[in-house]
This record gives sequence, C-alpha cells and structure tokens, in this order.
Amino acid sequence: MNAPTPAPVAAEVIPAPVGLLAELTHRCPLRCPYCSNPMELDRRSAELDTATWLRVLTEASKLGVLHVHLSGGEPTARNDIVEITAKCAELGLYSNLITSGVGGALQKLDALYDAGLDHVQLSVQGVDAANAEKIGGLKNAQPQKMTFAARVTELGLPLTLNSVIHRGNIHEVPGFIDLAVKLGAKRLEVAHTQYYGWAYVNRASLMPNKAQVDESIRIVEAARERLKGELVIDLVVPDYYAKYPKACAGGWGRKLMNVTPQGKVLPCHAAETIPGLEFWYVNDHSLSEIWTQSPAFNAYRGTSWMKEPCRSCDRREKDWGGCRCQALALAGDAAATDPACSLSPLHGKMRELATEEAADNPPDYIYRTIGSNVQSPLKEKAPL
Amino acid sequence: MTAPFPTPVADEEQRLLSPDELEAALRDIGARRYHNLHPFHRLLHDGKLDKDQVRAWALNRYYYQAMIPVKDAAVLARMQDAQLRRIWRQRIVDHDGDAPGDGGIERWLKLAEGVGFSRDYVLSTKGILSATKFSVDAYVHFVSEKPLLEAIASSLTEMFSPTIISERVAGMLKNYDFITKDTLAYFEKRLTQAPRDADFALDYVKQHATTPELQRKAMAALTFKCNVLWTQLDALYFAYVAPGMMPPDAWQPGEGLVAEKAAAAGGKNGPFEPADVPRLPRGVRLRFDEVRSNHVLLAPERTFDLDDNAVAVLKLVDGKRSVGDIAGELAAIYAADRSLIEADIGVMLAELAQKRVLER
Repeated sequence: MNAPTPAPVAAEVIPAPVGLLAELTHRCPLRCPYCSNPMELDRRSAELDTATWLRVLTEASKLGVLHVHLSGGEPTARNDIVEITAKCAELGLYSNLITSGVGGALQKLDALYDAGLDHVQLSVQGVDAANAEKIGGLKNAQPQKMTFAARVTELGLPLTLNSVIHRGNIHEVPGFIDLAVKLGAKRLEVAHTQYYGWAYVNRASLMPNKAQVDESIRIVEAARERLKGELVIDLVVPDYYAKYPKACAGGWGRKLMNVTPQGKVLPCHAAETIPGLEFWYVNDHSLSEIWTQSPAFNAYRGTSWMKEPCRSCDRREKDWGGCRCQALALAGDAAATDPACSLSPLHGKMRELATEEAADNPPDYIYRTIGSNVQSPLKEKAPL
Repeated sequence: MTAPFPTPVADEEQRLLSPDELEAALRDIGARRYHNLHPFHRLLHDGKLDKDQVRAWALNRYYYQAMIPVKDAAVLARMQDAQLRRIWRQRIVDHDGDAPGDGGIERWLKLAEGVGFSRDYVLSTKGILSATKFSVDAYVHFVSEKPLLEAIASSLTEMFSPTIISERVAGMLKNYDFITKDTLAYFEKRLTQAPRDADFALDYVKQHATTPELQRKAMAALTFKCNVLWTQLDALYFAYVAPGMMPPDAWQPGEGLVAEKAAAAGGKNGPFEPADVPRLPRGVRLRFDEVRSNHVLLAPERTFDLDDNAVAVLKLVDGKRSVGDIAGELAAIYAADRSLIEADIGVMLAELAQKRVLER
C-alpha cells in the first residue's frame, strides 16, 4: 500500500541527552581558519533573547542534560552571559565556558565566577605569540589570553587549555604541554583539526603529514606518563589518518544537542551542511519534543539507517558510522560510511588526498568572517 | 592383610555418572588440586613475599598469559562447528584485544610494568624459568593432540578462578604498598570473563562426556591442567623462595627493571593515607541525576558514573573529614573492618585524584 517508511523511534527508548552545546552567538574577535561554526554565520539581530535562553536551559535540565557548554563564537560577547551562567547554577547544570579569552572575557570573569561558573575552557592558537596571532587573525590576542588564564587559576576555577592542531602549529605540541603546566591548567586538549566547516575550506592550509601526526601522538603519550596526576591530556587524532572514525558527538542524537544562536537545534554543529534535513527551533518546540521527535535527530539515530559496511559491522555501536557530515562531504552521501573508516571504499583516496595536500605548500588562510562569500581552494569540489 | 592380587576395580569407578555427578567430581578435583592451595600462593596472598618474589611471579606468569591465545587457537582449529568456534574465539579476543593496548595480555603487561619491569624485557621472555615454559608448552601440546572433549575439559580450571582472584586482589592490595588497583586490572576483567567461559565449557563437557571412559578422560584432562598450574608455582618456589636455587638463565632481582621513579611519585599518586583529607575541588560536583535516578560526579568535560560504594564515600568527602574518619563512619554503617575500608577507599580516592577530580 504505502512505500516503506522508517519505523518511528519510540520516545521511551531514546536515552536522554547529557550535554547541551549552547552557541550563544557567532560573534567572535578571533577569525580562526578552522572554526567549527558554519560558513553562514548568524548575525546579532537574529540571536535568541535572554528569556528564551533561560527557558531552554530549564527545559534542558528537565530533559536530563547535565553539562552545558556555553560557546559561540565568543560567548562573553553576549551581555547576558552572567545571567545565563547563574541560571545554570540555579538548575544544577554544570557550566563550561568555552572562550577565546579576548575581548570582554576578562572583564566578565569575576562576575561569572560569582554566578557559579564551574569550568573554563580557553582556546590557545599557538605558543609563540606571533604564530598564535597569525592563526587567530587578531593582533595582541596572546597577552590577553595569558592574563585571562592567570585570573582563572587565581580564582580557583579549573582551567582546560584547548589547542587545535594543524600544520601551522603542530611543531608546538611540546610547547602547548609546557604552557598548560605553567598556567596551572588541569586539562589540555590536543585536538587535531576536524575538517568540517571552515576547516574543510582551509584543509590544504591545515593538513599535517602522517609523520608529524605520529610524532605529536608520541609526544602526548610520553607527557601523559610524565605528568600523571598533574595534567590530564586529551588527544583527538585526525580522521584522515585514522583507522576507525570517531563517534560524532558520541553518536547522532545520543548524547548531545546543539542550539545555534538563532535557536535552531542540531545533532552536531556541522549538521546543517547536510541538505534536506529538517531542523526544529526552540521557539516552535520544546527541547524534549525536538530531541525525541524532530526529523533531523531521528534521521541518523541508532543503526537502522546504515548501509554496508556499517550495517553488519561489529563496531557499529562503537562509532555509530562516524561523521555524517564528513560522509556527505567526501562520499556524497550522508548515509555512507565515514571515509575516515578504513572499511570505507573511499578511505584510501581520503588518505591520499591528505598526503598530497600536506606535501604541497600551504595556501593562505581563508579567515572566518560574518557575511563573506567564500571560495574554497580545494581541488575537489565534488565528493571523492 | 596381604592380597595376592591387585585390588579389583570397584564398579563405582566404571559407572556412568549423571551430569550433576560429573560436575561434582570435576569440582572435587579443583577443591583438592587447584593452585590456590599451593604454598607459593598462600605466601603471595598473605603478603609474605618480598617485592622481588612478586616480580618473579608476575614475570613468569606472563608466559602463561601470552600463550593462552595460542592454546585457544589450537582448540579452535579443531572445532568443526561454526557455532562452537564463534563462542570459543571470544577467548582469543579477550586476551589479544581488538587493537593494540587492549586485552588480557596487555593488562598483564601493565601488571608487570606496575611492579617495575620494563615492557621490552617482559616481552622478550628472557629470564622466564625453563620449568614455566615446559609446563605451559605442555598445555598447548595437550590441547593440540588430545580429542576436543579433553582439550575443552582442560580449560575447566576457570571454574575455580573467581575465588582465587578475589582472594588475590584483596590480599595483594592490602599487603603490598607497590600494588595498586590499576596494576591488578587484569583480574577485574577475568572475574566476569572466567565464569562465562567456564559455564560454556562445563556444559559442553557434561553434554559430550557420554561414556564412563570419556568422563574419566575429562577428569584426567582437568587434573592435568591443575598440574600445569601447580608445577609453575613449584618452580617459582624452588627458585625464589626455598631453597632459592635460581637456574643460570633465570631472572635475577635487579634485571629488566625501569628506574624506580614510580616510587618517588608515590607521594603524589599513591593511595590516600588515613590522615589525608580529601576534597572535591571547585569545578567537580557530586549530583543526584533525577532523570536517571543515580548519582554522578560532574567534572570538566566529563561525567563519572559512580557505584554505590563510591557514592557512599564521596557523600562524606567534605574537605574536613580524613580518610580515617570516612572509613570509621562507613565501618559503623556497614559493620565492616575499618582497616580494609581504609585501604579500599585510599585506592579509590587516588584513582580520582589521578584524574584530577579530587585533591588532598
């Protein structure tokens, strides 16, 4: 009678999300060429108002969210950041400020502390100031970041440094580790660039070679041993040289919700690159409805959407098929196996591409800007 | 009385046992011959060995661990039935893991490293007693040559291992300050893996040992395996306890170790002492999660699910009570031995401290 439609996912079997990524604004003083925000950035006039954010947080808490990541853009660019943080504390939500530490961040820090902020994650683009400021595209950013970090630890707030690694700073991995210790950070994220969004456009400028990647991993492993009990180092390895993909956001619609500045709710921050997905807005639906019923969250939830080789793979509930956005970008099909997986027929090509790009001279960065009309210099415009 | 002829074999010994009787007979073999009864194990678990003697044990036992998947592959190679192989191959996965850094052999290497060995030295198998190698190799040969029923029956020592593991973990944690819970991670996994494996093998033997002769062979196979384990401890005892006759090529204390920096770091990373006062730093919160009805520890970028014991301890962590105070309160509530609780929570708190979610 009817064409077969995917079985509806029953609300009671969907486990509650644990994390909410609140992208409060896309405004940011930095212009990092690997920014995870979408190419089309929301303008200030489109941003949700304070009351709506407070309602979203209340709904998130009821739904089962434990961690709220206050992010952006630069979240302290919002005038109501203190109010939003205080609401998290009131609700028992764990608040994590993901900040560049520049602009108005330092000025608001003490008030955020008083409001009950739990944790600060500070981005550092490089160790050498000139290099860091070239990558971030903002002069005089580095001293601001150092002052900010010092105040975080002075207040007794736990500090995580986040360093996104690429060919322009991979030689600084030992430096990042030393810097984290010097600043009194408890955690360091050595996160190799994930090539979505702006990083995808800039991939040829960012891609390190395999030997550099291996060396960076070795350095991190040695430092972990040496700094046991002093510094926790989280390592995110680059997909292009990996054997198996990462579970994107812990699996589509399994752990995380991402609310954009204008209130669109995404399963991951790059999900909008997949055409045809219907996203719901916090102004039209409750978070609970969106989590359990919105078409975008159900599109790739679980395993029933999978094709081979994922469908019969015994890792299918470990990595959930990897990243849907990367599958779309590189395989031309969001339901394909992430080419980062060695079981994907495209994996060899993906690695070749990375190897070639890493061997060429890097093109100039295309910096992140609001309202730009970007042309990627990548050779392949179509999927592999 | 003098009998001119050998005692006639009683009918009882040739009778076909019911499956339950067979199981009882197999268990009886373990009760009398399993290596938890060996004097070396008694010394090990009671804290009577010195560090070098524990090292000798860890090193030699590595050879046994490393050969287990070889043994299981030999068993597997003889199975004609895909369903059987699917079950048996899990043993190989358990030991080898799915990737480098994973699996039982790796966890044993961690144990050997935990007591001070360099990984490469252990991997080289230099220094392992010849007697260890002979007895382990005999086991591999046994399963390759004997009928499948006997090969499977020889694995049944797993029925007895959960007891020895619990004894060992508790005893070693309590008695050796150089042993941590991390070091003993191997045994934690085996506590669940061994019973699963043993249940399957026991059912198989009960089902397939259908004649008195086959039942006697299954029992003999298990006896053989008990002896494989026992002999290894005989050799260790002889070389490292009394009379201390170390063969010329065997490991000598001091060899194959990494510089003892771990000991120096002990103050920072070692177990919490009774006088230490633990506290949760800012940014780490214990919270009841109403949606999931459990307690969680919220920390930067991570959430720790807690078992009931951890919750009971962390509820008392307030930056004022010492480990001793906390153990005292828990000992009163649970009517348990305070010093055991102290040792236990000292280790648990140190693990959280290493993850930087607890301070002292």
